[in-house]
Amino acid sequence: MNSLPPLIPVAASTLAYDFEAIFWYVTAICSIGGLLVYAGLLYFCIVYRRGRTTGSTPRILGSARLELAWTVIPTIIFFSFFGWGAVVYTKAVHPPPDAMEIFIIGKQWMWKAQYPNGQRIIIGGNPRNMTEAERNSIGKLVLPVNRPVKLTMISEDVIHSFGVPAFRIKMDVLPGRYTNQWHHPVRVGEYHIYCDQYCGTWHSLMVGKVAVIGEQEFDDWLNGLGNQHGGSHAVDGSLAQEGQQLFLKLQCIKCHSANNQAAAPVLENLFGSRIPLKGGGAEIVDAEYIRQSILKPRARVAQGWEPIMPSYEGQVSEADLNALVAYIRSLHKGGTPDRTEQFPKPVGAPTERSLGEKKE
Amino acid sequence: MSTATVQGTPGLSPVPPEPPPATPNYLNNSSGIWSWLTTVDHKRIGILYLISITVFFLAGGVAAGIVRLNLLSPEGAIVNEDTYNRSFTAHGVLMLFFFLIPSIPAVLGNFLIPMMIGAKDLAFPKLNLASWYVFMIGAVFGVWAILAGGIDTGWTLYPPYSTRASQTNVVPGVIGVFITGFSSIMTGLNIMVTIHKMRAPGMTWGRLPLFVWSLYATSLIQLLGTPVIAITLTLIGVERVAGVGIFDPELGGDPLLFQHLFWFYSHPAVYIMIVPGMGVISEVVTCFSRKNIFGYHAVAWSSMGIAVVGFLLWAHHMFVAGISYYSALLFSFLSMLVAVPSAIKVFNWTGTLYRGSITFQAPMLFALGFLVLFVIGGLTGLFLATLGTDIHLHDTYFVVAHFHFVMVGGMVMGYFAGLHFWWPKMTGRMYSDWWSRVAAAIIIVGFFFTFVPQFILGYHGMPRRYPNYPAEFQVYNVMSTAGASILGIGYLLPAFYLTLSLFFGEKASANPWSATGLEWVSPSPPPPFNFDEEHMPVVVAGPYEYALGIDQLGRGLPESPGTVDDPSSRAGGHTGPAGPMQKETEVVG
Repeated sequence: MNSLPPLIPVAASTLAYDFEAIFWYVTAICSIGGLLVYAGLLYFCIVYRRGRTTGSTPRILGSARLELAWTVIPTIIFFSFFGWGAVVYTKAVHPPPDAMEIFIIGKQWMWKAQYPNGQRIIIGGNPRNMTEAERNSIGKLVLPVNRPVKLTMISEDVIHSFGVPAFRIKMDVLPGRYTNQWHHPVRVGEYHIYCDQYCGTWHSLMVGKVAVIGEQEFDDWLNGLGNQHGGSHAVDGSLAQEGQQLFLKLQCIKCHSANNQAAAPVLENLFGSRIPLKGGGAEIVDAEYIRQSILKPRARVAQGWEPIMPSYEGQVSEADLNALVAYIRSLHKGGTPDRTEQFPKPVGAPTERSLGEKKE
Repeated sequence: MSTATVQGTPGLSPVPPEPPPATPNYLNNSSGIWSWLTTVDHKRIGILYLISITVFFLAGGVAAGIVRLNLLSPEGAIVNEDTYNRSFTAHGVLMLFFFLIPSIPAVLGNFLIPMMIGAKDLAFPKLNLASWYVFMIGAVFGVWAILAGGIDTGWTLYPPYSTRASQTNVVPGVIGVFITGFSSIMTGLNIMVTIHKMRAPGMTWGRLPLFVWSLYATSLIQLLGTPVIAITLTLIGVERVAGVGIFDPELGGDPLLFQHLFWFYSHPAVYIMIVPGMGVISEVVTCFSRKNIFGYHAVAWSSMGIAVVGFLLWAHHMFVAGISYYSALLFSFLSMLVAVPSAIKVFNWTGTLYRGSITFQAPMLFALGFLVLFVIGGLTGLFLATLGTDIHLHDTYFVVAHFHFVMVGGMVMGYFAGLHFWWPKMTGRMYSDWWSRVAAAIIIVGFFFTFVPQFILGYHGMPRRYPNYPAEFQVYNVMSTAGASILGIGYLLPAFYLTLSLFFGEKASANPWSATGLEWVSPSPPPPFNFDEEHMPVVVAGPYEYALGIDQLGRGLPESPGTVDDPSSRAGGHTGPAGPMQKETEVVG
């Protein structure tokens, strides 16, 4: 069994601190009120128990002044709860105008997030029906620290509710109507996402994680760079995606495929790594090395491979090279496209993969 | 402290002799199963309800047991997700619609309202019997739905899940609840008319026992609220069966419309469940502290206040459901108002103990348990009425714990207090004093262990209706399940000692607690028409004249149980409860 979680759960957004303040205010006032009643009950039960008292009691019918006091004072206190609560709620339901908008779609039993630049993520799903590798690649809702984001949410089927305890807010996700919530994360880390509105068999598995990361890391991630957190590798319209089109068009994929019989190394997770060179020495893969490997491929060949790659000097522009570098930089494990014998189809044309997805 | 004018005190009235046992009494004046199934005696119908809802309480308890056992492990310890979802739905539906709503109104209310106001029966005895049959027909549908595979929507039945997605027996379940609703309306109507029209001479509104006031308020809610849930459930059935778009946006409906309609009944319905319990507490606390109720009018009118204001705050269940900002503000504000009458009641009950002479038999222990638990239940409700805290606590175990503190810690404790208080009257037998006190103590302790950890779980964000959960929540879930097993033992104990009391219990006198109400005038168990037909009661005093030592007929009270002082020191009846006495009314504060 696990040890006790911390007394106060982690607070990771500005709203979480607003919540804690009013929560402890209400808790303190209610504790005082409750303990006063308990003290009265206990005192009376001890002092006026039969034995210390005979059965003879005074005839006390009540007190208008006391009734007035314990009507008015609680009312004032309760209205203070209302007032402060309304202030927090007002802030919670009104996103600032500069908040980046992320769309959230709920469906039985997973979440989908779509970012303004096309980046998209699938969060959750039933991990029992997954392989270990799939479980490890479950997406997270990636958010930047110290930047407001607005979630615009809708459901494809029944009512769900998107709640992040570390942000201290939840909001129902309805079919046929947008609802929204917004966050201003202030703490880097990973936090739970729960579906809080009962939605059927695997309601309790419609859970996931939100990953709050640094602002620079977030901007890189939007462009398909860095740790992917389960997002798409090359985002539509990004430089990396342009590079992917070139990678296919120039037939790089023919040799640099994720195939056992490939004639050239697969380029996944290559950027930034240190590779040994044929004939001794080693090189850290950076933009310069990739550029040179395309233009003068036989100059510095990775160990274990034959210098068979033709030079692309004169065939690719500097702009194309930038795109290819961005693509290789974004290539992560499992991200190499399937090798096709045909010339790549235009952007947006259905592929076998996307057709297969739709059939499911 | 000062003294005020002397109340118009009745002259010295001796303690009346113990009335002879009723021959026949309502239990033995006819026999055979048929005589019970065709009875129009409100007391027998109360017993029919008692037996029926005890069965449903046990069944709902078994479902709760499945839920709690499954939560022992983060992966779900004993059942799969589908079974778990059916279990918590069965628990909710059985406990709410088939136990809590009929519990005090239909069992104790049926039995006691005519006796307390000095009437021979309820205003419509046949309607009363019909209400039980309607209840049982509804229960047949409900049990059919649960046994034939169950319902997995939760008791709240939110569409479009309930109308489109659920593959379970939603329609029979909805029909069952729809039908029992009519039983609730019939009982409410009957009690309300009875209180208006059948009070004994001298039983003015200001002399009504507070239990009667609380049931009057409850009946008002039942009459006005229940038709709304009936039409709401009908619409669910229509959408599910005929595909007419009412709530499902895919068919052009509005899912929030359902939530408004549902909570318009179901929020007042929680007051149907708690207000009668408050009535019982007023009776028990006064009797076992030998005091007049502190602030009779405040307690009586706060029941009515809850009944009326309770209709104005349904949307506080929907703060994060997508309602407008301004309606959230409005409903939060109104929700604060309903907390006030509940607070007034608690302060007045506590004030009643002041300078009392308190004994701790089982009914009083249950009543004190009610006070302790209801204070927590009520105060935690404020967290959910406050917008800024509800946005996080909504739909978590905090809500589950709050609701159970009020419904179980409040209403079920009130029901047990009432059952133990009036058991001698209903059956003519005393139960084991020691075992009943032990059971009360076990129930209170078990309750704390079960539900306090759930507040912590909810604050940490654990959602309700989860058969499995992140591992860090396991400690609190195990504590809660351990508490629930203590609670389960506590609830089984009364089943044993109360049943045994029927066969081996000491015979109860007419007024074993030395209480003031008219129901204690008749022998235990009472005759078929409650009172000696030659001498129907004429009321001369208010309901809680324990200080004067007179009942509502102005007669002296018998020695109260637990009296330890020397009766000889009370010669002349000036110091003890046994003799009526001149006494000045004291004013405090």
